[in-house]
Amino acid sequence: MKIPKPSRARSAWGTTVMALAMTLASAAVLAADPPKQEEVPFWAIGMPKNDTASKMAPVPAFPIPTAADKLPVSKLKLPPGFKAEVWASGILDARGLRQGDKGTVFVSSLFVAGKIYAVVDKGGKREVKTIAEKLMLPNGIEFHKGSLFVATPKDIVRYDNIEANLDNPPKPVMVYDKLPGDVPHGWKFIKIGPDGKLYVPVGAPCNICMPDDKHGQIRRMNLDGSGEEVVARGVRNTVGFDWDPKTGDLWFTDNGRDWLSEDLPNDELNHVTQTGKQHFGFPFCHQGDFADPEFGWGKSCSDYTKPAMLTGPHAGTLGMRFYTGKMFPKKYQGAMFIARHGPWNRTKKYAADVIVAWPDGKGGIAKSEPFMTGLVANNEYLGRPVDVMVMKDGSMLVSDDHNGAIYRISYKGK
Amino acid sequence: MSLRSLRDKLAVVLAAAGFLFGPGAVLAQPKPSMQQRFLVCTACHGEGGISSQPLVPSLAGQPSFYAITQLFLFREGRRGNEVMTAMAKGMSDDDLRAFSDFIGQLPPPPAPPAGTADELRMARGAALAQQHRCASCHGSDFSGGKQVARLAYQREDYLSQTLQEFRAGKRIGYTQAMNEALAGIPPEALQDLAHYLAHLP
Repeated sequence: MKIPKPSRARSAWGTTVMALAMTLASAAVLAADPPKQEEVPFWAIGMPKNDTASKMAPVPAFPIPTAADKLPVSKLKLPPGFKAEVWASGILDARGLRQGDKGTVFVSSLFVAGKIYAVVDKGGKREVKTIAEKLMLPNGIEFHKGSLFVATPKDIVRYDNIEANLDNPPKPVMVYDKLPGDVPHGWKFIKIGPDGKLYVPVGAPCNICMPDDKHGQIRRMNLDGSGEEVVARGVRNTVGFDWDPKTGDLWFTDNGRDWLSEDLPNDELNHVTQTGKQHFGFPFCHQGDFADPEFGWGKSCSDYTKPAMLTGPHAGTLGMRFYTGKMFPKKYQGAMFIARHGPWNRTKKYAADVIVAWPDGKGGIAKSEPFMTGLVANNEYLGRPVDVMVMKDGSMLVSDDHNGAIYRISYKGK
Repeated sequence: MSLRSLRDKLAVVLAAAGFLFGPGAVLAQPKPSMQQRFLVCTACHGEGGISSQPLVPSLAGQPSFYAITQLFLFREGRRGNEVMTAMAKGMSDDDLRAFSDFIGQLPPPPAPPAGTADELRMARGAALAQQHRCASCHGSDFSGGKQVARLAYQREDYLSQTLQEFRAGKRIGYTQAMNEALAGIPPEALQDLAHYLAHLP
């Protein structure tokens, strides 16, 4: 019923009546008015026709941050010797995390808030300032040499000398304004690589579709927006990537398609070994071994780069960082910490955690295990991790957009 | 109610809002109870949050999560209604929570709004509700829950207007679920749906 097929017939009929009326009024208008597609949110396309599926939609976050004393920090489970505490609260829709040279932590947001925040540590107390607002899905942020880069689905801008001007941010400088501007998977995760270039994904503008040659990619460009080139193809929607400090290789998380089934396909952790030459499968092949029921015909999964690791069906695998600090025990040095938001497109909720994965030194993953858990209870989320960031002192921040909070994970020893 | 009397009423309400939320409000007065603070709302939304004003919805029995999403959208200027945005503008997060918690515990309207049910339209509305699975999110008794609005015994004119706005993409919900659910339903059918939900048998 909610699938647009039957509705198109009616819509075409309505359009015909409207077009007729307009022909009478003015023949010139007719040509300028193509039939209007009825608005169906992109995530609903492909929904199977059954009651359970029709109840599913992206899990809405509360429009108000959870009060500091009500945050689920006591529920968080960590390996022995680790401790979680509330680092900052009252940050509606807290998503991406980056740290400035002077210690400011910048926080991005998405649908609910549309804001960029700066969190300043003042003698152990954190002060939260809003430095930009009314932005379109400003999920992508990066800090580099005094400047904060902010990416929306449409463009990338730069706030220079931002840490000295948190109370009166400068007018942003346009870096790149040729992004497609799609809402579906148009929000960004951006990061500057060891090559000094800005890496910018352009996700598939849909749940499942054939992307054109401007979508379904990770690209990179010079910091002034010039010299754009494709780094990886066949990428549905990556909201987290980082470079292995040992090899300099790019690794990225990718969210699998929805509505195929409760348990397929998995999200992916991918490893780029040949810049610009690899195709990671979307929309033809999912999770390295599963041909899409529509786009996979005539295609072979063996023609695409397989994921290094599967991270769970509909898990919402987002922010990812290599651990480069000194505080955590030695076994975590060089490992990847990965935030999983927790699925909406699945009856049984799970994940909403941070996992850790170790590269095997041969291009793959040796093993992975849960790191921060405890945020799923009674099939609901107590919190939803989005991004992880290693602080200068080696502790780790984890953002939670469900509660509008940031947790700090530190290691105290046994 | 005439436009003028509505305007006069709004002036009183906005002045009261200034009194309740304004910067000097707390200095001399003891903190007003939620019952008192809610009088600002009842001026238009009716005693106990049951509305008799054209196009003004009943608030009674709306789930608090739904109420807070709407107050939030009004405050941020994201749901197109100047009066409600003006009302919500000065509200803190705690105000939003207090009002929505209060709304959530008001007893829902015990009976349909005034007016008689048309048997034919009721039948058409019921069929539409079934066909488009309204109950699967709004509940079999249409009482809503969490971020989903209560529909049972809501004012018909408000329901009809809201459904049309969702369908036309003029009202952006806190989520896009309604834009999706209504795509493809003809506008005249939505009037029957509103009639049915307002007068549930």
